[in-house]
Amino acid sequence: MREVLVIAGKDLRNLFMSPLFYSIAGLCTIAWTLVYFLGLQEFAEASSMNAMQGAGEGASLHFVVFTRHISLVNLVMIFAVSAMSMRLFTEEKRNQTMALLLTSPVSSTQITLGKFLAGLLAAWALIAVSFFYPASLRVFTAFDWGPLISSYIGLLLLTGCYVAVGMLASSLTESTVLSVIMSLIFNVMLWFIGALSDASSDSNVSKVFDHLNVGSHFVNFIKGSVSLAGVTFFVSVIVLMTFLTQRVVESNRWR
Amino acid sequence: MDMIEVSGLVKSYGPIEAVKDIQFRVKKGEVVGFLGPNGAGKSTTMKIITGSMAPTGGSVRVAGYDVFEDPVEVKKRIGYLPENPPVYGEMTVESYLRFVAKLKGVSSDRVSKQVEKSIEKTDLGSVRKRLIQNLSKGFRQRVGIAQALVSDPEVLILDEPTSGLDPRQVAEVRALIQELKGEHTIILSTHILPEVQSMCERIIIINRGRIVAEDSIQGLSNRMAGSTQVKIKVSRSGAALEAALKSLKGVHGVVASDGGYTLQVSAGGQVGSAGQAGGATQDSSARFENSDLAVELIAETVVQTKSGLLELKRDAVDLEEIFLKLTTGEESQSPGGVR
Repeated sequence: MREVLVIAGKDLRNLFMSPLFYSIAGLCTIAWTLVYFLGLQEFAEASSMNAMQGAGEGASLHFVVFTRHISLVNLVMIFAVSAMSMRLFTEEKRNQTMALLLTSPVSSTQITLGKFLAGLLAAWALIAVSFFYPASLRVFTAFDWGPLISSYIGLLLLTGCYVAVGMLASSLTESTVLSVIMSLIFNVMLWFIGALSDASSDSNVSKVFDHLNVGSHFVNFIKGSVSLAGVTFFVSVIVLMTFLTQRVVESNRWR
Repeated sequence: MDMIEVSGLVKSYGPIEAVKDIQFRVKKGEVVGFLGPNGAGKSTTMKIITGSMAPTGGSVRVAGYDVFEDPVEVKKRIGYLPENPPVYGEMTVESYLRFVAKLKGVSSDRVSKQVEKSIEKTDLGSVRKRLIQNLSKGFRQRVGIAQALVSDPEVLILDEPTSGLDPRQVAEVRALIQELKGEHTIILSTHILPEVQSMCERIIIINRGRIVAEDSIQGLSNRMAGSTQVKIKVSRSGAALEAALKSLKGVHGVVASDGGYTLQVSAGGQVGSAGQAGGATQDSSARFENSDLAVELIAETVVQTKSGLLELKRDAVDLEEIFLKLTTGEESQSPGGVR
């Protein structure tokens, strides 16, 4: 465990010391702020109209403002995580520091877990920033924490998948550009696997694809239900990708 | 006790065999030089010993542990400097060394002490707070060495430790390795000959993936024919001197240059005036005396001819010749032939 933390600590430190992280974080917050502000304004106008017409409260804050924010955070994270995780392994290979890791008394599994942890914590730092937007509204108005929290649990798990995918991509190549592109393609594919359920006429096959649908699992989290199936699905994706990365790292010794 | 035991090591990249049946042992505290032209398989062998690469066949044991069965135990005992120092440019020297120390499993309470020690040994105190990316090549190389030392390993494996350094830095690194001699078992690779001579007790010459020679430097230079080179400068040139030298037994070449004032004498094999070196050809100590004898005889001859001896220099630096002979020789030359 100490080895995992040592590697994760080094990677996180180097990431937080680099301009890359702050440029990504800066761009993310600009996008989030603009859209969140517009959404909030729209919602305020709509609900004051409703109130004037005596039609009650109208749409819920969660589904109009928060859901929009969360889907944007998700979209942005696909890019942000791909850009952050590209360095995890490609940098080591380009710096020739992979030799240091491979000749240290640590296993490939520990190296992979350390890297994953670093990527995960960096991504979660951004998620934490995005949480301030809806949370700050609590100062002005009361809303139900439940669905917001469950959406964020979903978001944390989902970004975990992005990190694991990005890490796998970076372990496959020495080029950071290629790593980002692969990571983006894989992450977008993750969202479209579910769509294959329509392509199959066999109902059993389409059921399988339905279960692989990232979107439908994530929607449950947004609706406020943390289902075992959803958590299992995301954790499985993370474990699978991490396992594959571990195999790639291990294979470095055999080449 | 044998610290490192390598036997029957084979590594092939597809159809290309980079290492073919390499076999050697290194005793505790020994400094062994790995010598060979570029692409001879030095780095590959080192990578396999450090466990960063798996061989196609054969086994490696370090301190009694098999590299493939107990990789962690082996890696705890090895400090490795690859061809390019594995440094992170965005870290400072000190934080980098702390990271490596922790990675190598140095216990938390000893990390600071070990980092201080390795900084001191490699004389990095003046740059400890600087980012590695801003350091010169020489300093980076030293950071690489510090990194190998930081866990205080029993075995040090240094792949071309002096490459890319200026002459002063090369001298410093050599002095450092001399200093480390007693405490660590060291294998270092190089293609620079004087380096091995100044640092190693034993050399292993590799060519095209095979060991072509393995011996102490003295032993190696003595066993090769024509291994003793003596350079003589005299104040009075004369054919008499040349003739007298040529008539000595064992002298098989006298090259006069500079108008006869400088002579290059090469001697070897059976040296001496008749009968003197008769049986002494087998063990290496006898051969050693032999080459001493050759120099003695040459000196005597020069004095006897009254040529006015100004300078007599023994060129032990004949390793170069041996090296070239061994590594440019045809493939068919069997490794056992030289051994």
